[in-house]
Amino acid sequence: MEDLIMTALEEYISTKILKQPGRKIGTDEALISSGMIDSFSLVDLALFVEDKFNVRIDDAELNAQTFNNLNELAALIESRQKK
Amino acid sequence: MTILQIALLVILAIIVGQIPRGRQLGMLAISTFAIFWLQPNEPFVTLLFWLPVGTLAITLLCWALTTPLESRKWGENWSAVAILVSVTLLMDLNRVFKFNQIYTSRTPNLELALAALFGLALITILIISWQNGRHFFQIVALAAILLIFVIIKTPGLIHIVSEYLVNLRGADPADKTTPLTWLGYSYIAFRLLHTIRDKQSGRLPPLTIAEYFNYAIFFPSFTAGPIDRVERFVKELNAPLPLANDDWLDAGTRLFVGMFKKFVVADLLAFISLSNVLVTQVKSTGWMWVFLYAYAFQIYFDFSGYTDIAIGMGRLMGIRLPENFNAPYLKPNLTQFWNSWHISLTQWFRAYYFNPLTRAIRSAKNPLPVWVIIFITQISTFVLIGLWHGVTAGFAIWGLWHGIGLFVQNRWSEFIRPRIPTWAQTQGSQKVLGALGVFLTFNYVALGWLFFNLANPAIAWLAMKKLFGIL
Repeated sequence: MEDLIMTALEEYISTKILKQPGRKIGTDEALISSGMIDSFSLVDLALFVEDKFNVRIDDAELNAQTFNNLNELAALIESRQKK
Repeated sequence: MTILQIALLVILAIIVGQIPRGRQLGMLAISTFAIFWLQPNEPFVTLLFWLPVGTLAITLLCWALTTPLESRKWGENWSAVAILVSVTLLMDLNRVFKFNQIYTSRTPNLELALAALFGLALITILIISWQNGRHFFQIVALAAILLIFVIIKTPGLIHIVSEYLVNLRGADPADKTTPLTWLGYSYIAFRLLHTIRDKQSGRLPPLTIAEYFNYAIFFPSFTAGPIDRVERFVKELNAPLPLANDDWLDAGTRLFVGMFKKFVVADLLAFISLSNVLVTQVKSTGWMWVFLYAYAFQIYFDFSGYTDIAIGMGRLMGIRLPENFNAPYLKPNLTQFWNSWHISLTQWFRAYYFNPLTRAIRSAKNPLPVWVIIFITQISTFVLIGLWHGVTAGFAIWGLWHGIGLFVQNRWSEFIRPRIPTWAQTQGSQKVLGALGVFLTFNYVALGWLFFNLANPAIAWLAMKKLFGIL
C-alpha cells in the first residue's frame, strides 16, 4: 500500500512541482530541508494529498519535522487512513 | 542576559533537573522568578513590577480560554497557582527584605499587589464559568495580544504610552528618555497566539497550569526564543529525557559554545560592525564591506549563541528545545537560508499565516495565476516577519527585501528547472554553481541587514551607495 502511495506522490512531485516528468526521487531523499519543495509547493502537495488520499494535513504540520521524505509522508498518510 | 545571570540560571537548571519529583513546579518557580528578575531595570522603576505581572496575567487568561472545563484538574492546578502567587508576592515583598543585589525594582505595597492578584483571579473565574462566551473571548484575546504587540513594537506609539505612564506616576524626568521595554513579550505573545489558534482548530491538548506556564515562560527561552510548539514541549516536560554522561557533555558543550559565540565572537565583531556613525563617517568602499560582513556575522553569532545557551540549559532539565539555526550562511539559495535562519519564527509564520493564506487563495473558486499568489503570500509573509522585529520602515523594507528575493528566486527556478542544460548537471559544475549560490545568497542577505540594523532607510540607502562606490 505504501508503495502505491509513494509512486503517486513521486509522480505528482516530479511532474507538477519539479516540472521534470520521469525524474526519480529516492524514498529517503530530503524534500523540504533540501529546498526541493518550497513553501508554496508544499501547500499544493498538502492539497493534492487531501484530495487524492482523503487525509488531512494541517497547516501547522507542513514542515520537515512532520515529514521530510516520501517514506515519512507515505507513512503519515497510511496511519491517518487507518483511523 | 549577562554572563552572571546565565550562570545563576544554569545552576538553577542543574538543580531542578536533578529533583525526581515536583520538577515541573520547580521549573515554574524559577521561570516566574526569572521574568521579574530579568526585566530591564531602568528607567521605569515603578512599572517594572507590573510588566511581569502582566505577562503572568495574560498567560493565565489564555490558559483559562484554551482549557476545557472538564480537564481543569484543580488538584494539580492549585499547587501551580500557589507557586505563581507566592513567587509574585515574594518579589513584591522585596521592598521589605531588600535583597537589592538580586532585585532592585521599586515594588508596590502589598495591599496593591494582593488587590491586583485578586482582580485577576476574579476575571479568570469569570472566563472559566462563562462557557458560552469562549469563542468570542478567544477572538478578543487574539486581537488584544496583537494590539499590545503593535503598541510596544511601534516607536511612536510606545513613546506616547511611556510618556503617559511616566506622567501618571509622577516619576523622574529621567524616565522620559527611554521608552518602555517589555522583556520577552514578542516570544511569549507568539506562543500564546499559537495555543489559541490551535485551540480554535481543535488541535490543542488539554493542559494544566504548570504545563501551560512552563511552555509560555520557560526561562531558558523566554527572552529570545526559540518558539517551541506546545504539544512537543509538554511531551518532554512530562517525560524528561534522561541525562547520561554524554548528555551532560552535550549540554555543557552547547552552553560553552553559545557563551563563546555570544560574549567573545559577537562582542568582538561589534567593534567593527555596521553602525549609523560608521556609515556616515567612512569614505572607503572596502571598509564599508568589512563593516557589513562584520555585522552579518555579529548578528548570527549573537543570536545563534543565545539559542545554543537556551538549548543547553533546557537539556539540563531534560527538555530538547528546537534548533533555531542550521548553518544559514552556507546555503545556496534564499529559500534554504530561510529554512535555517530563526527557524522557529519562520515556521510559526508558515503555520499560522502563509499556509492558511496560500491554501485559501489556492482553493478559491476562481484561482489567481500562480505567480500572483506567490507574490502576494511571499511578500506579505516577509513584511510581517520584518514587522515582528519592530513596526518601523526599516524592518518593513528588510522584510520586503527578502520577500522580493524569494519571489525572484522562485520564478527563476520555475523558469530554469525544465531547461537545465546537461553541462550544468555534472558533479563538478554542480559544485561550482552551489558555491556561486552560497556567495550570492550570503551577499543578498548581508545587504538586507542594512535596512534591519541602521536607524532609518535613508542611512541604509547611503550605506548601499557607499558599498557600490556611487558616493
